[in-house]
Amino acid sequence: MFGFLKKVGDYTRDAVGAANYLSQGLAVTFDHLRRRPITVQYPYEKLIPSERYRGRIHYEFDKCIACEVCVRVCPINLPVVDWVMNKATKKKELRNYSIDFGVCIFCGNCVEYCPTNCLSMTEEYELAAFDRHSLNYDNIALGRLPTSVTSDPAVQPLRELAYLPKGEMDPHGVDPSRPRAGQLPAQVLETLPKAPAAAAAAKTTAAGEETNP
Amino acid sequence: MVIPPAVVSPGLDLESSFTQLLEGFGLSPGAAHLLWLPLPMLTVLVAAVVGVLVNVWLERKISAAVQQRIGPEYAGALGILQPLADGLKLLFKEDIIPARADGLLFTLGPVLVLVPVILSWLVVPFGQQLLISNVGVGIFLWIALSSIQPIGLLMAGYASNNKYSLLGGLRAAAQSISYEIPLALAVLAVVMMSNSLSTVDIVNQQTGAGILSWNIWRQPVGFAIFWICALAECERLPFDLPEAEEELVAGYQTEYAGMKFALFYLGSYINLVLSALLVAVLYLGGWGFPLPVEWIVGLTGQPIDAPLVQVITATTGIVMTVLKAYLLVFFAILLRWTVPRVRIDQLLNLGWKFLLPIALVNLLVTAGLKLAFPVAFGG
Repeated sequence: MFGFLKKVGDYTRDAVGAANYLSQGLAVTFDHLRRRPITVQYPYEKLIPSERYRGRIHYEFDKCIACEVCVRVCPINLPVVDWVMNKATKKKELRNYSIDFGVCIFCGNCVEYCPTNCLSMTEEYELAAFDRHSLNYDNIALGRLPTSVTSDPAVQPLRELAYLPKGEMDPHGVDPSRPRAGQLPAQVLETLPKAPAAAAAAKTTAAGEETNP
Repeated sequence: MVIPPAVVSPGLDLESSFTQLLEGFGLSPGAAHLLWLPLPMLTVLVAAVVGVLVNVWLERKISAAVQQRIGPEYAGALGILQPLADGLKLLFKEDIIPARADGLLFTLGPVLVLVPVILSWLVVPFGQQLLISNVGVGIFLWIALSSIQPIGLLMAGYASNNKYSLLGGLRAAAQSISYEIPLALAVLAVVMMSNSLSTVDIVNQQTGAGILSWNIWRQPVGFAIFWICALAECERLPFDLPEAEEELVAGYQTEYAGMKFALFYLGSYINLVLSALLVAVLYLGGWGFPLPVEWIVGLTGQPIDAPLVQVITATTGIVMTVLKAYLLVFFAILLRWTVPRVRIDQLLNLGWKFLLPIALVNLLVTAGLKLAFPVAFGG
């Protein structure tokens, strides 16, 4: 008899507990209704890509030495380096350089391994075209400076999470002049204790006087 | 609005006004009555379809708000024309019957799922005489009609010539059947208290003290059981296993496209609106305002039969019913994005091993309370 009643009691307590969990969940979902939507209304609003964003590759013809390292490290050997050997000057003469962005995977290997830093990645990602052959950028097209989202008057640029001020999660309505969270290097230096820096300066000047005859 | 002659209540009588107008034009009484008959049916049909369009819009907007999105905003102001656009799209899509599928069963499946739901709108009251037909077995008619749905689901699943659709159809039919019994038992407790199966009588029994006389206070457990079973019958989350995208593609609806899919889609939303309305009728006092309308009218000193008073009370009744129903629809949409889906075995366990015993105990307790306190529990 009492075993049965105890079972009924446990059953009821479990059911009430389940209903409790359910109502907590519903409260969370209901709370979301009062929040502002986080939708980025492309193309009227666009996110500003981050500093290391791997967009369209930029190429400086004058810095290139036609070493073809970029071709060798590319996973698909994509860059087309058109060079001839100039027998008179005994140097390579670069005629054309092209990268086909219809095939490029934007991994950034070529940028990383270029010895003269003539390759870099920009923040352009809107490369869509009606004809895939127009995606084969030659050295003129590669050399063009990237267009930025902030320079387009018809677009409201929005910052990504990493660039928002402290405490802000949603870029809508955040004043663009407010600085991002965190300190600049100069500000970090100010917070460091001064005494060891002065002692280290005294030591280096003493060492400098010793080495200088 | 069929009113037996012995029970004509004073006040506005639309049917007799209409028939008298037509008889004035020279038509016989029989012909006038025949011309009157389609009007309430068409009104309710239009109301049901508009209700579904509103429901689709609400679902998309509320789902978007819960997920911090915006939802439809370009099809008409605030995306109001989006459901219409969806319907038109489905109308123009190619109607495919898969190769080696049973053509007749494939076509009849959605029909058998949709038609009983629309037929059940016969007994949904929006006011004392604002319903198509006050059949004496109102609420029982709805339960009986909703039992036709599993046949349609099985036909749709079997006739698709697709093993996953077959499994989906079997699961959907099992779910539908399992949750009918606790549903009927919960309704039985309410019927026991109101001593009548007619939906109008059930609502009338909940008038008198405004919000305090609604059935939800006398049947809290019954309300919970009915709501869970209604969600399961409508295949809404957390019970949408048969039609969830991640499960068996789309279950029994996989092979359906175009207008046949539109029938399933329409049926699902009409069923939800119907269930919400019936919860409002059975547990939330139907067309009753939280304060008794007769009391408010008595304060103003006007007679209750004055035509203007009748129009205002009828409008209040309709608005209250729709408001209560859509509050429940909002709750169903919110629930959709809150709880995870139940597995098929958990689903059947819940129906048979949890809700059925609780519904039986609820019935027993209600019967006991009815015998002990006849004044409060329907003597």
